[in-house]
Amino acid sequence: MKKLLALFLCIAMLIPMAAMAEGDERIHITYSFWGNQTEAESVQAALDIFNSMQDKIFVEPMQIPNEEYTQTLVNYAIADQLPDCGMVNENSVLYFARNGVMADVSKMYEGEELQPMDCITFKDAGTPVGYSSCNEILVLYYNKDMFDAAGEPYPSADKPYTWDEFVEAAKRLTFDESGKHPGEEGFNPEKIVQYGAFVNNWTWQMEVWALSNGGAWFSENGNEVLINSPEAIQSIQKVADLALVEHVSPLNVIPEDNGVGIGIGNGTVAMTTDGTWRLGTDFPNLDINYGIAPLPMMKDQVTLCTSGLTGVFNGKNQEAAYEFVKWYTREESNWESLVLTGIWMPKSEYYYKSEEGINAWLGNEAYPFKDLETGKKVLVDYTMNYAKPACWYYTPNTQVTTNEILFTALQSVWSGERTAEDVITEVYPELCEAIVIE
Amino acid sequence: MIAKPMKKVIRYNRSETRTAWLCLFPSVIGLLCITYLPMLASFALSLFSWNGLGELKFIGLDNYIRLFTIDTKFYASLYNTLQYAGMSVIGSIIYSMAIALLLNRRIPARGFFRAVFYLPYVLPALAVYLGWKWLYDYNHGLFNYIVKLLGGTSIKFLDSSALVTPSLALIAVWLSGNLIVIFLAGLQNVPRTYHEAAEIDGANTWQRFWMITIPCMTPIIFYNLLMSLVSSLQVITPALSLTKGGPGTGSYYMCYMLYTQAFQSHKYGYGSAVAVVLFILIAIFTAILFATSKGWIFYEGDDKE
Amino acid sequence: MTSTVIRKSSGHLASKKRQETLANILSIIALIILGLIVMFPIYWIFRSSLMSNGELYTYPPAFTPPQWRYSNYIETLKVFEYWKFLGNTMTILVPAVFGAVITATMGGYAFARLRFRGKKFLFVLCVGSMLLPSMVTLIPLFIMWAKLGMVNTYWPLILPHFCGGGAFNIFLIRQFVKTVPHELDEAATIDGCGYFRILVYIIVPAIKSAMIVVGLLKFIELWNDLLQQVTYITRRDQYTLALGLNIFKGSFNDDWSSIMCATCLSFIPGIVFYLIGQRYFVEGIVMTGMKN
Repeated sequence: MKKLLALFLCIAMLIPMAAMAEGDERIHITYSFWGNQTEAESVQAALDIFNSMQDKIFVEPMQIPNEEYTQTLVNYAIADQLPDCGMVNENSVLYFARNGVMADVSKMYEGEELQPMDCITFKDAGTPVGYSSCNEILVLYYNKDMFDAAGEPYPSADKPYTWDEFVEAAKRLTFDESGKHPGEEGFNPEKIVQYGAFVNNWTWQMEVWALSNGGAWFSENGNEVLINSPEAIQSIQKVADLALVEHVSPLNVIPEDNGVGIGIGNGTVAMTTDGTWRLGTDFPNLDINYGIAPLPMMKDQVTLCTSGLTGVFNGKNQEAAYEFVKWYTREESNWESLVLTGIWMPKSEYYYKSEEGINAWLGNEAYPFKDLETGKKVLVDYTMNYAKPACWYYTPNTQVTTNEILFTALQSVWSGERTAEDVITEVYPELCEAIVIE
Repeated sequence: MIAKPMKKVIRYNRSETRTAWLCLFPSVIGLLCITYLPMLASFALSLFSWNGLGELKFIGLDNYIRLFTIDTKFYASLYNTLQYAGMSVIGSIIYSMAIALLLNRRIPARGFFRAVFYLPYVLPALAVYLGWKWLYDYNHGLFNYIVKLLGGTSIKFLDSSALVTPSLALIAVWLSGNLIVIFLAGLQNVPRTYHEAAEIDGANTWQRFWMITIPCMTPIIFYNLLMSLVSSLQVITPALSLTKGGPGTGSYYMCYMLYTQAFQSHKYGYGSAVAVVLFILIAIFTAILFATSKGWIFYEGDDKE
Repeated sequence: MTSTVIRKSSGHLASKKRQETLANILSIIALIILGLIVMFPIYWIFRSSLMSNGELYTYPPAFTPPQWRYSNYIETLKVFEYWKFLGNTMTILVPAVFGAVITATMGGYAFARLRFRGKKFLFVLCVGSMLLPSMVTLIPLFIMWAKLGMVNTYWPLILPHFCGGGAFNIFLIRQFVKTVPHELDEAATIDGCGYFRILVYIIVPAIKSAMIVVGLLKFIELWNDLLQQVTYITRRDQYTLALGLNIFKGSFNDDWSSIMCATCLSFIPGIVFYLIGQRYFVEGIVMTGMKN
């Protein structure tokens, strides 16, 4: 037994030694990320390309599981061992920025041809501290087969549903065991077989409905909480009522970040709202004949744009990190793996303004549009004209406001135990306090 | 039986003391470096406002004042934690004692049955809670499918603030394989001579259970009680992986509050204040348990001090 | 007088035997029913590992997989580097469990049997240390290990277990040592044994099953201890099984059927360890049955 122990101790000692870096003259930087096996492999492949195409910078990966990612970064920051660049959770960008971790990126793209859009620039009191790696907007996915079976026309790309039209269509698409629709005599909401619509109630996505209803969650300078406005409150209640009152939506009390999985993806829901990345990440694995349309509108045409980012952290290797991140997040570096698969929509304006640019990505088969014009209306027009940045691009402490306070509070609305007005009035002071920068 | 020797006059024998400290040396190092020094550092933090990366700001007792006077979620977490602990401790002690007694009988396939009841405890928490989520799910879950087959209306197991804690406590009972194993080990340490002696004296099974098994098991019962109480007051995993503290504040437990405040909202000072309160709360319960233990625990090989 | 006792006890023995058989049958029935209930969620996890992601969400839920997709396991093993993760896990677990069992036994013995100044105080400290979850000390400890340059090595995950193996385990051993009759070691003392030899030759054999329990508990605790492992290990080639389960959780979507496959694979060593431990369990009865 003693020998065994000694053996294991030796092995344990050898591992860290073997992992010590070999000496060379390049600048060594670390890049931290989270992701699954495929993602980790493609990260390594990209790093290999970058490391071999130039001889000044050598990038090493550092993989941290998603759920513990931010805290682990904080730990490393406290211990002064932060990586040089890395993925940052959208919720914590401004938290890191306020505490001097995120580097100022205003000069990063100076003089470059491709400039990232303003909509997806994280700003700490006006200073750009990070650009999203791509652009994503929220859209409405629908199951064509279910629409055909119900004899319902597909949602239009030219004229989005009004909320009432959306609810009515959803009712026609919902039926119970005996084939009855909500509102009909004898309809049994306990035995629904097919639901008409699922509006993703993952917290940050709910902001779009406040905007759509003529309200907002936060003021544009990120200093004020406006979620207590009647429009914002009403928008939350309307979404909750889809399941509670109209019986057209599955109940989803404790939301998770898998709108497609709960909605259209499980084959029992006809329409689902979620982000455009699902085109590449979820739909290829689903055997569903689907289409894309703009979000329904309560009053105004609007959608949210957002996406994760690779940030540069303040430190002595900042210049090298800029170089790497710029290369790493270029559309061209990710063309095959992310753009053509439909996971990324490009982040540079060029790809939305010029015909050539648009054709380059929207023309590929990952996008299920019957013609390019429809695709342009749903994705390009919406990005250029109707997209507003999600709250974390300009509001500090969203890890507290949306992630913690609203996430918890809204669950009582989703379950039908309390009204949106009740809940929002109660947490409003807490939100106002949380948004103040220390 | 060998007659008991006289009480020793010299209380602290030198070689005994030396052996004791030698035996306890690793534990003392651990207690100091791994537990108490870092813990004191954390406790001190509760007097500060700190977001993890910025400046430390001394704010005195403000964190505590906020906790007790402003933060309504704190009282919810206190209530939920006690409710969860009460249900899961009582449930799992009774369940695991009963299973251990059944498993301690001379029955065929005993090893197999033991493995069955221990198995839930071996599974990674991620899988356990996910498996249960599918069973409890409101729309597609198996339990509600059965309920509907039987003609009932769907039950919001995890989706109502009233039912969520009992539902999670049930999982804790299911998971108490570790208690079963400890009870079993304890049952096997009950000296067989006692049972034999009692049998000769004509005691029946029931009498032997109450007069021999239970008294001999009291140190183990005490241990399991304490262990499940302490660990259920520290409940966090189900809230973290299954319900995210919800619905509303239905599964917002103190440890979950500590975790979210410190590690998700980056309010480390405030999180530390929750930790201090949690520490005091568990200490009170532990002290009560220890204080009552003198009355009902029977130590076969006690110090007789 | 003597004859009545014999007659009484022989009749008693026969009825006792019948009683016991009946009780055993009832116990088995109870165990089978309870066992089925307990196994059900586990079956549900196993069933899920044999289904596709789409099938997982269908309604009504399928009791058996529509297709038994054993290929899920092959697919999972292609990306889930099982043997490597297992090797890494064992590199942490074996020394840690070993250290915990040894040092907890020493500590528990001292608390249960030896008398020394400061024992009460030390015991209170020991109990006090289990009142808080380990996350409270996470950041201060991380700073300490970072200062020692040991982040990204296994040391922060192994060394702490050589320090008593946690108060829970010291306490568990103490409780078990207290159930060992005093007469045993007093006899040994008369034979001239020192305190340390009493520990090795009297106490350890008597509480073997408790030591196995400590090993088992430690094993499972470390097996599932994601928080510590996440904090200290960020290199993929050092990943453990618990960390490895996370490789199916992508930035966008989670591959649940693979997670279930990997889960089923990853608890096999836990069961094996339990089955090995259980053998010593049964031996425990014979060892502790006093023959004086």
